[in-house]
Amino acid sequence: MARLVNNPFVAISVAWGAIFVIGNDPSFAFGQETNFSQAFLKQHCVACHNGTQAEANLDLTSSTVQSLSIENVDRWSLIHDRIARKEMPPSDSEQPGSAERASFLERLSNELCRVEQKEIATKGRASSRRMNRYEYENTLRTLLQLPDLHVREFLPEDGEAFGFNKVGEALDVSHVQMARYLQGADYALRSAMAPVANRPDASPVRYHAWDQRSLFAGDYPKIRLTFPILGDKIFEHRKWRECTAEEKEPDSRAQQAVAIFCSTFEPTEIRFSSFRAPVAGRYRLRFSGYSIWASPDCTKLFEGRRSEPISIYSDRAPIVYRKLGSFDFEPKPTVQELDVWLGVGETIRPDAARLVRSRPPDHKNNLATEEGLPGVAFQWMEVEGPLYDQWPPSSHQVLFDNLPIVDKPINRGTEKPNPRGDRRRNRVVPTETEVISSDPARDIPRLMKRFIEQVYRSPVDSEDIKRFSDLVQRTLDQGETFTESMLAGYTAVLCSPQFLYFQANPGPLSNHALADRLAYFLWNGPPDRELRSLADAKSLQRPDILRMQAERMLVDPRSQQFIDSFLDYWLDLRRINATSPDVSLYPDYDLDDLLVESMLSETREFFRELIAKDLSVRCLVQADFAMINERLAEHYGIEGVQGVGIRKVALPSGSIRGGLLTQASSLKVTSNGTTTSPVKRGIWVMDRIMGQKPPPPPEAVPAVEPDTRGATTIREQLAKHRAIESCNACHKKFDPAGFALESFDVLGGFRAQYRSLGAGEEAKGIGHNGNRYRYRFAQPVDTAGELPDGRTFEDIRVFKSLLEKELEPIARNLVQQLSVYGTGTNIRFSDRQQIEAILATTRSNDYGVRSLILAIIQSEFFLNQ
Amino acid sequence: MRQNHPMVAGDRARSTVSPKPVDRRKFLKAAGVALSLPSLEAMRPSLAKSVDDKQVPRRMLAICNNLGLLPSQFFPQGGGRDYQLSPYLELLKEHRNDFTVFSGVWHPDVDGGHPADNCFLTAAPHPARGGFSNTISLDQFVAERIGHLTRFPSLNLGVNPMQGQRSLSWTSSGVLIPCEESPSSLVRQLFVAGTEQEEKRQVRRLQLGQSILDVVADQAKDLQRTLGASDRNRLDQYFGSVRDLESRMAASKAWEEKPRPKVTATEPIDPASSREYMEKVRMMYDLARLAFETDSTRSIALLLDSVNSPAINIESMELSDGYHNLSHHGKSEAKIAQLKAIDQSHMRLLDHLYTELKGVQEEGVPLLDRTMVLYGSNLGDADRHVTTNLPILFAGGGFRHGQHLEFDRVHNYPLPNLFVSMLQRFGIEVDRFASSTGTMRGLEMA
Repeated sequence: MARLVNNPFVAISVAWGAIFVIGNDPSFAFGQETNFSQAFLKQHCVACHNGTQAEANLDLTSSTVQSLSIENVDRWSLIHDRIARKEMPPSDSEQPGSAERASFLERLSNELCRVEQKEIATKGRASSRRMNRYEYENTLRTLLQLPDLHVREFLPEDGEAFGFNKVGEALDVSHVQMARYLQGADYALRSAMAPVANRPDASPVRYHAWDQRSLFAGDYPKIRLTFPILGDKIFEHRKWRECTAEEKEPDSRAQQAVAIFCSTFEPTEIRFSSFRAPVAGRYRLRFSGYSIWASPDCTKLFEGRRSEPISIYSDRAPIVYRKLGSFDFEPKPTVQELDVWLGVGETIRPDAARLVRSRPPDHKNNLATEEGLPGVAFQWMEVEGPLYDQWPPSSHQVLFDNLPIVDKPINRGTEKPNPRGDRRRNRVVPTETEVISSDPARDIPRLMKRFIEQVYRSPVDSEDIKRFSDLVQRTLDQGETFTESMLAGYTAVLCSPQFLYFQANPGPLSNHALADRLAYFLWNGPPDRELRSLADAKSLQRPDILRMQAERMLVDPRSQQFIDSFLDYWLDLRRINATSPDVSLYPDYDLDDLLVESMLSETREFFRELIAKDLSVRCLVQADFAMINERLAEHYGIEGVQGVGIRKVALPSGSIRGGLLTQASSLKVTSNGTTTSPVKRGIWVMDRIMGQKPPPPPEAVPAVEPDTRGATTIREQLAKHRAIESCNACHKKFDPAGFALESFDVLGGFRAQYRSLGAGEEAKGIGHNGNRYRYRFAQPVDTAGELPDGRTFEDIRVFKSLLEKELEPIARNLVQQLSVYGTGTNIRFSDRQQIEAILATTRSNDYGVRSLILAIIQSEFFLNQ
Repeated sequence: MRQNHPMVAGDRARSTVSPKPVDRRKFLKAAGVALSLPSLEAMRPSLAKSVDDKQVPRRMLAICNNLGLLPSQFFPQGGGRDYQLSPYLELLKEHRNDFTVFSGVWHPDVDGGHPADNCFLTAAPHPARGGFSNTISLDQFVAERIGHLTRFPSLNLGVNPMQGQRSLSWTSSGVLIPCEESPSSLVRQLFVAGTEQEEKRQVRRLQLGQSILDVVADQAKDLQRTLGASDRNRLDQYFGSVRDLESRMAASKAWEEKPRPKVTATEPIDPASSREYMEKVRMMYDLARLAFETDSTRSIALLLDSVNSPAINIESMELSDGYHNLSHHGKSEAKIAQLKAIDQSHMRLLDHLYTELKGVQEEGVPLLDRTMVLYGSNLGDADRHVTTNLPILFAGGGFRHGQHLEFDRVHNYPLPNLFVSMLQRFGIEVDRFASSTGTMRGLEMA
């Protein structure tokens, strides 16, 4: 692994002699005997690579390969690379002299660049493309001023190419996609409208725990029950009943709480269900409560012995949960506040996530001791909202400016007022609004012009204003209301190609196209006013301004959208929930949402830190800090971290953690929930971190799947495979990383032994799911391995220390990943020179991640279509 | 969360309307037994009759269970008509003469493990490869040709589908068509006509949708003039999909003016949890039958996304693991026993489906005889991700069944040949589909 990535521009320095020069020969055609390059191929390659039995199916004498053209550049790039890496000619064949080799590579390289550049000059490096669903959602959120709009789910999943959802060739449009655009735009536009004509009362309302029916549900095993608290007394579980007049007195209210000793899971699903969001909008939620400790029979109440993490979810029927936030309840009562967006009709579901999720058959409490058990007490939830920055809401004004609004009662039929709780808030407001125009002929073009100017990212064509205004007028003439007609026009704007597609002609990007590219790179969303005015003034292309803007954008909160979506694809974080840990093998991880949510935050916060502090790409492999909370600290065996918030923690020296490879998220997305495969993890590391994509596996060879009976280890099974030289040729490159990572189980916990359901020593304990462990400890894990260059390692620590020496390949890979993401097309052979230039300018600070990003946006391929 | 969504029936926004609380099983019973149909002919849409007068209506339900079945329990011994039923096929023995079981078949070069389910009806090779693009699926191929005969050109259904990632149904440009997974939404689409006012409104909405599409198509045309060749291709695709949607809206508008079939069934309540997998499968089978019975469509694809399913509820035992985890049984006997129980439930549901389709008569012919039911998997052995030796059952549709068509277990026979036979049964004039080499050898029309 000494040379993890080849580089044609490095290490091959040549003294040019009197070599026959091809001149400006346009073709790299085989067959011209006088041609030096052809002589090279003929002498060193053709003996094996010819005819129908050609090695590796490469027939250098066939007409499709012979002539270098845009159709076969990938093939010739590979030929170039394998010769450059000295993999070809094979070591047992006669080797070309180093000058001969270098000269051939130089010519081939020039020719490859020439062919590509010719293509790029006429077609552009990247094709134009439509927005992907992330970009579409972010764009509507910004333009309509609806920061919490959820519209991504309306659209079909995007195709991906070269690892990302950013490439035109993979971003198709079908009639289904078109229909979904119509739906998504309509939904977004209606969400932007004022939900009621007059500003709703937003004064705080308190929902007391004793009033919540679902906090008193029963007929369960005791472990799943809730218990009313009054002051320092805890009562037996009882059914919900209306509070008495006395219980409604402030004195009593201040003493009331409901205790729970398990987390929220079927059937104990606690909710503050007498609240349902009356309209969609922003709300401020306050929760009062504290952690407790109780005697084993739950009859005596004591002060909590530690804080308890509380996750808050929104809950919409039938079962749609959305995480809103989390905080800790402390032993003393505190009030915790969250600013959230709620959809109409949503209610609030708290979850004391650390407590047991009691599942059959055992119903044990893993946190209970002989002295007692931990729990939490909920006192009340207070809701303030819906909150608006202005009235009508700014989102409404994007569509309708200040035209008068009236309520339009509609009959929804099935909503019944809830007889309990607060009458003003307990149901969905059964209205929609109608905007009134006294002069549609004037308002239609005025509003349409205003809207299009905000929504289109380049200067607006008057033809377009007319086109969409006419549609509105025609719709109005057919009998639709003014509001519906305007919405139809706006829907058309949001489904129009001018909005959905990024367009640019081959060559340098226009100022507006550059603003687009920059914004959809670093924000994954549309350019803001500042970028647009710089584009209008044609000054964005100035390198100093471009750099300043990029720096501004990277500290703006919108850069989180870039981090999230980039990592979703680069590191597969979007698949974090694709598999869940096997219940029998990993009862300790079962239903541990807090752990999975935390690991996702960890990786995102980690990458944010690398950008913010301009830390070296070395951190991807080896870092002396971690971004963790208490749950992750426990998972990683790190002491002294309390609470649910993610914070930067210095790692003890010699820690196996630090860096992406040993983060739980990476280890989870590379396992199948039951077993880990060194092959899969090894390939992932080499591909995503080191930039070495393995060749596809041979067809119709069954995958080597680990055996959970404890009979053989995956390593023993792989050994058979690796004994076959044709298999080993590739496996020796990517298996080592996987072997080193065998120290980590399916969720990234450290292990010295495999778990099995067959042979081995019995494990003792109770899982987060309340069931006794039924797995066993089987064979010890062997993490030693050998790199292709012969260096050996015994474990992950040594492996990481070997890997981190490969700083340049790691940096090159990150530059390439970011460049594919940022420019929407693959890295071509002719981009390599610029990639090397980017590396050269950032070498002095060890390839700081922010420096790399800032260098990419100044590169020629970023500034050109 | 707002409703009032103008364009397309059965959209997401509508699912927030709470249905009346009706017991699910009661619904199914009602839907299955007490269908208040004076006679099927009276109820069949007149459009179908007028356009397609002489043709016998042919239908297809294609089901893929993407974790397959335990091979040792599924494949029978002995070939031909005298084969011995396997343990699983014993559960279908009532219908022995209504189906053909295949062994030694595959989709050539459709490898790559799990993603192969996306190719179950397309047979596009190498789905896991970079640069892979899917091709048209059998159900869409059928819909393109005879879809105009029914209110719904095709239905694409799913049980626990991983939305956006998995589907049996694909357009010719390789674009995924999402699965409908909500029985209640399906029932609303199939049978619940709105009031006259609502219907007019729907027609107006469709008209409005068409006007919107006209305008954006205009802009696309203008833009095309300023673009280079490769970008024109991207915009051509946009333009094509706009036209495609417009023509569908036009067709929907025509159907909107015709009454929907009347059934006594009330709207079912969707099973709340993905654990109720088997219940969902049963509901989808019943609804597919109902859709055929009412001639609402003739082409249905149904993906049973077992890979995406948790520890499911089955009647015979409590499962320890998610369905996918179980399939990687690693030879654990406990897991194999649970898988067997799941597979048996599948077989019983299939038996139920065959029985129901046989029980309905259309023009004096059992519906099953006009309905091709393909059941199978993209995996021959889920434990090892093997995509050869696929388990395939093919029932009904007017073929000579009652046999085991046995092909080479080492060098498999192409399954797309069956698709060609099916298309020809539809009366569609084709002689190839994907990697087919002909029609299915040994399978004769009755």
